[in-house]
Amino acid sequence: MSSFGNGGGGRRGGKFGRFGVKRPLVNPTEPLDYKNVGYLGKFLTPNGKIQSRKRTGFSGQNQRLLALAIKRARFLGLMQFVGRA
Amino acid sequence: MDRLRTYECMCLLDNREVRKGWDPLKGVVTGMFTKHGAEMLSSKRWDERRLTYSIRGQQRATYLLCYFKANTQQITGIRRDLQFSDVVLRSLVLACEEVPATAYEPEAAFDVNAIPSEEAPVPVAAPVAAEPEITSTPMPGEGTTEGGGA
Repeated sequence: MSSFGNGGGGRRGGKFGRFGVKRPLVNPTEPLDYKNVGYLGKFLTPNGKIQSRKRTGFSGQNQRLLALAIKRARFLGLMQFVGRA
Repeated sequence: MDRLRTYECMCLLDNREVRKGWDPLKGVVTGMFTKHGAEMLSSKRWDERRLTYSIRGQQRATYLLCYFKANTQQITGIRRDLQFSDVVLRSLVLACEEVPATAYEPEAAFDVNAIPSEEAPVPVAAPVAAEPEITSTPMPGEGTTEGGGA
């Protein structure tokens, strides 16, 4: 058995294999804007943290836009910094 | 180098000032832009809602969304005026490529006296069915690190 730094556990089912086949939260038609609070709220954990790209399924560019939009919404009091809204 | 750009500004307005009159208050805020030579393209009430955390002791605020064209050198002065204003709780000025068509729609009429007071009880939301959350799935390596330290 060979284990060349992969920890013994390989990736199964592609990039999101272990997290479900579909990414139902990502809607390409929805703008990643700080005013679109209802959509942005789907990408927060119950504690108010921004979900990782692995969980959201966004591209790198869109994940950065998502984080920026959430931070702007937080600044304006539209979204919570921590905890449930 | 001076050049004109289009900007978007979202302002949180104090509801105590809003209750005194919407149009005069809007004039005060837009005056902060025009004082610096900005050309107002649109300014309309975006929403009135409860804040997720209190800002200057206020639990609720009215949002004013403005679009304007200004010299890039004047933005610092505009931001400073907004920051020092008593009626503006918080503001966010962003450059934008183009003004959305919805910004030119006429502002919906609203009653300033219908704004809930700070002491109004928070409406209790009906319990909703839990949505399937992705976060319920454990991340790789979660829960497997205990006792791993040497």
